[in-house]
Amino acid sequence: MEVAIIGTGVTKFGHHWEKDQEDLLVEAAYEAINDAGVEFKDIEAVWCGTFYPFSGISGNNFSDPLKFFGKPISRVENYCATGMDNIRNACFAVACGAYDIVMAAGVEKLMDNGSRGIPYIEGIFPPYMPAVSAPGMFALAANRAFKEWGWNKEDLALVAVKNHYNGAKHPKAHFRSEITVEKALNAPMIAYPLGLYDCSAVSDGAAAVVLTRPEIAKKLVGDEYAVIKAIGMAVETIHPWARPSESFLSFPATVKAAKMAYKQAGIEDPMKEIDFGIVHDCFTITELINYQDMQLCKPGEGAKLIRDGVTAIDGDFPINPDGGLKSFGHPIAASGVRMVCELTRQVLGKAEGLQVKDAEIGFAHNLGGPYSVAAVSIVSRP
Amino acid sequence: MAAITSCNVYIPVWRLEREEIAKATGFQSLGGERSVACWDEDSITMAVEAASGIVESANSVDALIFASTSSPFKVKQAASLIATALDLKSDIFTADVTDTFRASTNALIMASEMADSGKYKKILVVASEKIPVKPSTLYEQLFGDGAVALTVEKGGDGSEGEAEILGYSSHSKPQPGAWMKAYDDSMKDFDMRVDARFGYAANLQAAVMPLFAKMGLMPADVDRLVISAPDPKSYVGLLKSVGVKPEEFFFDKVGILGTAHPFLLLAHHLAKEGKIVLGSYGEGSDAFLIDIKSPLKSNLDKMIESKKKIDYGEYLYFREKIGERSYPDNPSPVKYWRDEKSILRFYGMKCRNCGTVSYPIGRCCIECGAKDNYEEVKLSEKGRVYTYTIDNLLSPGNYNADGVHPHVVAVVDFDGGGRAFMEVTDTYRGKEEIDIGMEVERTFRFLNEKNEFRYYYWKVRKPR
Repeated sequence: MEVAIIGTGVTKFGHHWEKDQEDLLVEAAYEAINDAGVEFKDIEAVWCGTFYPFSGISGNNFSDPLKFFGKPISRVENYCATGMDNIRNACFAVACGAYDIVMAAGVEKLMDNGSRGIPYIEGIFPPYMPAVSAPGMFALAANRAFKEWGWNKEDLALVAVKNHYNGAKHPKAHFRSEITVEKALNAPMIAYPLGLYDCSAVSDGAAAVVLTRPEIAKKLVGDEYAVIKAIGMAVETIHPWARPSESFLSFPATVKAAKMAYKQAGIEDPMKEIDFGIVHDCFTITELINYQDMQLCKPGEGAKLIRDGVTAIDGDFPINPDGGLKSFGHPIAASGVRMVCELTRQVLGKAEGLQVKDAEIGFAHNLGGPYSVAAVSIVSRP
Repeated sequence: MAAITSCNVYIPVWRLEREEIAKATGFQSLGGERSVACWDEDSITMAVEAASGIVESANSVDALIFASTSSPFKVKQAASLIATALDLKSDIFTADVTDTFRASTNALIMASEMADSGKYKKILVVASEKIPVKPSTLYEQLFGDGAVALTVEKGGDGSEGEAEILGYSSHSKPQPGAWMKAYDDSMKDFDMRVDARFGYAANLQAAVMPLFAKMGLMPADVDRLVISAPDPKSYVGLLKSVGVKPEEFFFDKVGILGTAHPFLLLAHHLAKEGKIVLGSYGEGSDAFLIDIKSPLKSNLDKMIESKKKIDYGEYLYFREKIGERSYPDNPSPVKYWRDEKSILRFYGMKCRNCGTVSYPIGRCCIECGAKDNYEEVKLSEKGRVYTYTIDNLLSPGNYNADGVHPHVVAVVDFDGGGRAFMEVTDTYRGKEEIDIGMEVERTFRFLNEKNEFRYYYWKVRKPR
């Protein structure tokens, strides 16, 4: 499968108290259309991701803000991997020739429902099970990793420092200031051992891409397009805490999605064959475990990568050169689409101020739910 | 004759010093300390705790009587819920005996008759109280929370640890006493002195004298008087009036456990041989002559010793007098009913294909996916923390975060297999020490009240 990205659109991420979901979606969708140099009449079908039930309903999520009527629109929902799963579905539709030009968009307006963690969803867990917040879920992994591998809070802080360092330079990031290890270590506790700076923020935003097949892309934009070479995706259990074999030291969904993507793209050694990556740093611990699950290092060595600067923007394998979810916040369904937009910017050499040197091919990764859904996409120059 | 064959006590871990109450309220301290149920404990959960200590085999019990004035339900049988949490058979006799501090001894009379009839082999009687009181009142200092469970069987087979019930008699008399009308939320009284002067001693005497006559006994034939009372002063007064030295009344350590108090005193005395008179008081009196032929062990001392101090502010939070409790979910009572085996009886499944024990019971194995190929297995009461967190974005019981009480949760590997995600309770504002590898034990607790329904579930705590 090779699908071309000919247009990207991303709103500024942040606390958009003054904007509606409609505003964000219109902004991102029109930016993508204009970037591709096409018109809405050229778009034959749309996939629009929104995760939360209050984000809207069905195809009308997209049709009404854009007044885009009379065409097929699907709403996609798959936790924090919603954005990338959304693109995955759109890719198959163009790849098989059913449509020539489609749009995949993701939007989430979380701030309308308060900012203290992501909103709780009724009925997601059985009534008797202890509820756990998103940071709480990943804190379970952090405590286990501390015990098993001797990682500590400072290792986590290094991830936050690195991502905020990058994000400070990104015009569309939610947070645009650097932080220090000390600041991260002294921050209020959210879910032990994760403090404020170990967590990505609740944020609003939208992103969209225009997709077509490479032969059409060439006619429309010349060489100015990126290629989606692979999208792997895997769903695991919603109850990792009930599965005796769950180690909490690896997220099996990521491992499986990565394997699929590498196989689709013919990658054998990602550390050598891929130039950089954007991983789901919903929490700092997640980023470190992602290094391992994405096969950048062996189990237990994730912290060494951050300590040695391997994943810094000027390191051997830059991770989250855009600033990651740490800098952008995490409007659920928008994040995966935004990550693919970032890959496109990088491989086309358009990531001003944050350009990874010689970035020809990169991966993006989403992990959602109680680590139960993961998607990995690989994007390169044509 | 029927005999008491085992006894087990549950006192919540929390203790509130009466001096601490006095400091906060200005109300004069009565000295000592009282036990306080955690926010997620009520008379039902404490009854489960007390009874679980003596139910060795779920199949052996064929009746359960719950005695309490503080059931959280007006309509809904507590005994059946307790029996289910204890994983007792569903064809047993269950009953609630309520409305008076004599409920426990009422239940003991019923149990003794049932055993004597030969139709019931082992009757479990559980008295449990968490009496609602208003802050800054005498009752707040008077009462404590806790539960005591006894088993009653046909005695006289000379087995170890047996207290034979030789006889009993009752006296019934409405007194002004203390009362709660159907919709009251705390204890009321006219003037406790009326009871103290005209009710308590007179009622006890009216029950005990016919017992002595019936049994052909003289007071000198009795070794000890085990008499409950509405307050410690009345107790001392009564014993002194008949020339007997007052014994341990547990007011300084626990407080008065309402209808469970006669059983608490009994638990103390069952540890020593001798003939005792057990007496209760409430709208009259029940009196028993009990011959403790060989002492019965109980965990009373351990329960008294195992304790944690609580301050008045936290006590008010426990009693929902301060703080915000909002719950984000709308659970379905139907799901709760449907999954009783996993939720209340705590059964998991053992896969016949790969041998994995997992929780809760589902159609397919969580490890190998084998469909409908498992046996139901009861998970252990003990386990170890595999990993945990202290979550500040939620509060205990799945409530929205109140900014004070974080939600302590742990992934627990139960001994013998099965892993579940459990709330860790009996923590003080989450500051409890918890670590990977720590041993924990299951405890039956109130979960939350939502959709006009009251949910219970198992949590874990540090072993007492």
